[in-house]
Amino acid sequence: MFKDHVKLAIKNLQHRMSRSLLTLLGIAIGIMAIISLMALGEGMQQAVTGELSSLSDVIVVSTGGGFFSSFGSGGTPSEYFTDRDIATVERTQGVRDVSTQLSASAFAEYNGKKTLISLTGMDVMVMTLQYSNQRLESGDLLTENDQNQIMIGYGIAHDTFEADVSIGERITINGKKFFVSGIFAKQGMSGFSSDSLVLMNSRDFKKLTGQSNISIIYLRVNDVNEVEPIAARIQDAINQNHGRKDFARATTMTSILETVQSIIGILQLVLVAIASIALVVASIGIMNTMLTSVMERTREIGIMKAIGATNQNIMSIFIIEGMLVSSIGGIVGIVLGIFGSQGLTVILNNFMMMGGSSNLAPVITLISVVLAVTVSLIVGVLSSLYPAWKAARMSPIEAVRYE
Amino acid sequence: MMNTNVIVTENLSKTYGKPPLQVFALRQTNLYIKHGDYIAIIGPSGSGKSTLMNLLGCLDKPTTGKIFIEGHDVSTLNENELARIRREKIGFIFQKYNLIPTLNALENIELSMGFAGVDSQLRTEKAKKLLEMVDLSKRLTHKPSELSGGEQQRVAIARALANDPSIILADEPTGNVDTKSGENIMSILEEINREGETIIVVSHNMTIAQRAKRVLRIQDGVVTEEYV
Repeated sequence: MFKDHVKLAIKNLQHRMSRSLLTLLGIAIGIMAIISLMALGEGMQQAVTGELSSLSDVIVVSTGGGFFSSFGSGGTPSEYFTDRDIATVERTQGVRDVSTQLSASAFAEYNGKKTLISLTGMDVMVMTLQYSNQRLESGDLLTENDQNQIMIGYGIAHDTFEADVSIGERITINGKKFFVSGIFAKQGMSGFSSDSLVLMNSRDFKKLTGQSNISIIYLRVNDVNEVEPIAARIQDAINQNHGRKDFARATTMTSILETVQSIIGILQLVLVAIASIALVVASIGIMNTMLTSVMERTREIGIMKAIGATNQNIMSIFIIEGMLVSSIGGIVGIVLGIFGSQGLTVILNNFMMMGGSSNLAPVITLISVVLAVTVSLIVGVLSSLYPAWKAARMSPIEAVRYE
Repeated sequence: MMNTNVIVTENLSKTYGKPPLQVFALRQTNLYIKHGDYIAIIGPSGSGKSTLMNLLGCLDKPTTGKIFIEGHDVSTLNENELARIRREKIGFIFQKYNLIPTLNALENIELSMGFAGVDSQLRTEKAKKLLEMVDLSKRLTHKPSELSGGEQQRVAIARALANDPSIILADEPTGNVDTKSGENIMSILEEINREGETIIVVSHNMTIAQRAKRVLRIQDGVVTEEYV
């Protein structure tokens, strides 16, 4: 019986081909939007996870408000780590590669204008770790052998002095000349902003300022599984050194990863929710088409009832029709979504500042495909339920009525 | 079988609306229709012919009174039970053929067997046989739009016979076809009747009606037997 109903539904859809195709297109577009946005979200998720998990053995210890408030922001913290803190960190078991980020205020002069800047110094190894994914407007990252060279943020290059600074030019900092060897691209409002950064290696920093104001300590652990407990131990130990509970904060990439992932998760949900609107519109489209079809087929429905179709038979014929439209639409939508997500990625990579994630690739998961098929089937059933019920309620007398 | 009557009605009435604006479409009708009967129901339009036809065909429910089909009271059945009676006991033939336009001749006949749950291979076999009987074996895969009126009506006859019904209800079966096709259709119906099938023809064409064994005249909802 089911097979007959499917056959009947297919014949009816073929009979009204252009209308069926248009209805189907609505569903296809809705599913396409969902598939491609989910693929994009998943791609972001994986890109970020991939980048950050390569740093999963890294712990960042910072003073005050934590990692996000001071990380590369160029802001000068008011408190610094002491040599004792460094020693504490180095003594901690399972720790290797301890390095530091230094901060100080300094006067910079270029083209006759003098201004106060905050200076950041770090080991080239740390610099590479932290900035290798960042887009550069021009120039290169510093290397181990570079001397008296600096990298500057977009804001320093273009908005701080009266004239733009470009690669190879010299900025005088605290009376000493430094060559600009790299300029970071514009970052905007993000917490990771490098716009006002003036970056040099720690050797030059110490020589220039005579200080070693450590605002951030970077370290690696030997065993990735130990990263969380070691971070906690270091944080406690440093806080004990200062007799305060909130002096330092040790952050692992894992916890950053979790935060970023949950942010992307929310973003993904919002995107899919927006895409779902298209699907709702499409399902109204199915309902509308089906209602028209029910009206047109009043006589046909009456005939079928007269020759013995039950209400359930009639309902199932119409519901199968709706499900066919929506599931074929869903499959077309999945295919379009696979292409659509590629297109979206190209657009995003070209026109948006994706920072380090410029090689974003869409990821179509099996779950998203299964979800799309399920959703389209449900949409098909739900949107044909009312028209089908209306059809089933029709009186068989309509069929024998003279016109 | 306990009862040789295929249809019995007891004080069958159908009214529309509520008093005082009540309209009697059919009044207190008592009918006995035997197996193998050939009955014509005649009357002017608005006389209650269609109402009687709908009631006998289990398409509609009476306001009062009872209908027995092969001894079973069908006036109290619900919609789905009525649908079962329609597909098992009754074969309809309509003035406008009423074939499903998207299905071809064979599929139209198979459809009603499908609703009755007949196995699909058996269905095709039987549908072919029936179409052969109405002389349409060369038109199996033609859609209704590709058939003449007479041919469509013959497909409809084949469809009406598909589930071996006890009664064939034909509503103006020749109303929409030319004289020659009409004659052809009537002779097929009479042939079926000779083989033992109960036939009820509704018509206002007296020449058609007079071929029947019994003629029931209906006027203002009152049925009277006419002896010819």
